Amino acid sequence: MINFGFSINKPRVIDLNRNNLNKSKEVIKEMPELQACIGCGSCTATCTAGNLTEFNFRKVHTLVRRGEYQGAYEEMNKCMLCGKCRLVCPRGINTRGVVMLIKRKLGDF
Amino acid sequence: MTFFADFCIPFIVGATVMFIIIAAKYISWLRDLPRSDIKLIVKGAVSPRLFTAAWEVVRESLLHCRIFRVNPLLGYMHMSLAFGWFLLIAVGWIETVAYLGLKWVPLQGHVFFKYFAALNDFGTHKPTFDFVMDLLLLVVLSGVTLAWLKRLRSRAMGMKRATKHITFDRIALSALWFIFPLRLLAESVTCAIYGGGGFLTGGIGHLLAEGINADILHTIYEPLWWAYSSALGIFFLTMPFSRYMHIFTEIPLIFLRHFHLKPETKEKSYDNFEVEACSRCGICIDPCQLQAQLGINDVQSVYFLRDRRYNMLQQKIANNCLMCGRCEAICPVGINLNTLRQNSRTSMRNIPNENRYKYLRNLDRSEGDGRVGYFAGCMTLLTPNTLTAMQQIFEAAREDVWWADKSGGVCCGRPLKLSGESDSAQKMIDYNKELFYKHRITTLVTSCPICLRVFREEYKLEGIEVLHHSEYILRLLRQGRLQVGYSAESTFTYHDPCELGRGSGIYDEPRAVIENIGKLLEPAHTRKDALCCGSSLANTAIDDRQQLTIARGVAEELDATAAQTIVTACPLCKKAIARGAKNTVKDLSEIVAANIK
Repeated sequence: MINFGFSINKPRVIDLNRNNLNKSKEVIKEMPELQACIGCGSCTATCTAGNLTEFNFRKVHTLVRRGEYQGAYEEMNKCMLCGKCRLVCPRGINTRGVVMLIKRKLGDF
Repeated sequence: MTFFADFCIPFIVGATVMFIIIAAKYISWLRDLPRSDIKLIVKGAVSPRLFTAAWEVVRESLLHCRIFRVNPLLGYMHMSLAFGWFLLIAVGWIETVAYLGLKWVPLQGHVFFKYFAALNDFGTHKPTFDFVMDLLLLVVLSGVTLAWLKRLRSRAMGMKRATKHITFDRIALSALWFIFPLRLLAESVTCAIYGGGGFLTGGIGHLLAEGINADILHTIYEPLWWAYSSALGIFFLTMPFSRYMHIFTEIPLIFLRHFHLKPETKEKSYDNFEVEACSRCGICIDPCQLQAQLGINDVQSVYFLRDRRYNMLQQKIANNCLMCGRCEAICPVGINLNTLRQNSRTSMRNIPNENRYKYLRNLDRSEGDGRVGYFAGCMTLLTPNTLTAMQQIFEAAREDVWWADKSGGVCCGRPLKLSGESDSAQKMIDYNKELFYKHRITTLVTSCPICLRVFREEYKLEGIEVLHHSEYILRLLRQGRLQVGYSAESTFTYHDPCELGRGSGIYDEPRAVIENIGKLLEPAHTRKDALCCGSSLANTAIDDRQQLTIARGVAEELDATAAQTIVTACPLCKKAIARGAKNTVKDLSEIVAANIK
């Protein structure tokens, strides 16, 4: 194969009918305001951890809501809980609460 | 001489069980103390601190001086019950000695002396003791009356809200309320039958003897002593499990505290003394802004400590606290409420994880090579005006600066620690500490009080002086390295950030800086009593609307001073207050930078 110097992600489909949405529903139930997210990405743009490593808060919480839990806990553990995302969120979502909630639902406490 | 009657049994059983349980509790708590704490106790026990502690026991456990400062009537209520009861026991003991000389008398002989004095012949009557004992009983009864009144109308005693008690506490409380009226009745009827007694028991006894048939008096005589003894017995039985455990626990707590024991990041045995020394007086409820402004009334320190004590603490209660420290500042027992809450959160959420924050390895984005380091902190990076202002100040003072995190750094670790993930927070602490030493700085300046607090309390930065920018700027001004223009026309008001004021004890420095620039007007709540901006990182439970409500309340007070500019010294407070304020909100460094001459 010719090396073009870039690659293309494998096509990926999130099948909501096949994913187990129980945890996702629990997260939404405890933090309904997460549904107000418009996906603007301000949280990720300002993120202290995201500035230093591959960590994308918007991506992780969006995937969790879609029932894609694989690796989400480990990703969330990159967060330093500094709280900048909460201050910039245009929808006023309690993002720190979201991080802690997702970790609680997917982790071991 | 007999010192036993059947009615004494409830009292004897209650008192014995109580002393056994309390002794067992203290012994197990002391046994579980870490070795370092035991060393502190041994060292403290042979030092003059023993006497300062004893003096505090008199002042706080008996006289309740700190409650007098909250409200004099409330203070009198607590004092009359505690000190009055103590004197009743002490003078009662002296009374038996005066009658019988220094010989052993069983406990019930002292407590029910009036009964046994009527039964036995103890020699010449001593009216002075009758008078003193009656006076003391009257003092205690006045306290009980006030306690009743407080239940009906707590406002009369300076408390908008009193504690909502659990059933078990109510049982203990009712028993306590009945002890003294029953004692009065029992002693009065005894006086009515056998004579004697002071102005109170004797006087009532006289009236009873005149007004009521002697047969009736003889019939109710024993049952009244039974009732009095039972009230005491019930109170003693419930005491070790109820709020009244504080009566004895505050005493060892004061001694241990004087020996420099304190709660730490993780729960330890010493915490038991603090948790059980809480009397659930409820003084912490009114200052809580979650209560006052949001109507949340199950998370305050009194309820947190209660839930923790009975092992029914939930994360949503533990997490719903601003940790602003307003309750800690007013707590009459001086319990370290914030540290206890933080270590409860640690017990609930701390998971040691070696792989966490591996990405911090070999990371260094710092700039410059001065001996003075500047750590902006996450929040300052989000308020770039503060950062620019600091840059101007450093330039004006010709300071050579090492910028720790100007283009992105690592969080100080305090937010994570406050949320309970202490072991992971330690990784950031270790990272930053290494970074500071690597660049050989001698002074570390930060404009974020949250970072300041963790630098001072957890980092143990030997050889590096940690300064908040308010302290640093004031030093520059005093050394003459920085000149600012003063204008009497400019008016400022200052908001004390929780972490800077109550947290780090820095009240005067920012005020001194402001007074170099213009006139300072104080808001209604200030210094130790200052309000929290509501955006505190310690609270992960309240939502945006609730944060805004608190911020508006604070901003309203600051606007009410009619100052042109609201000044604060914390980037987070600045952001929070700006959402609710009409006037402009500026960081201390901004007003300094704008007025550099």
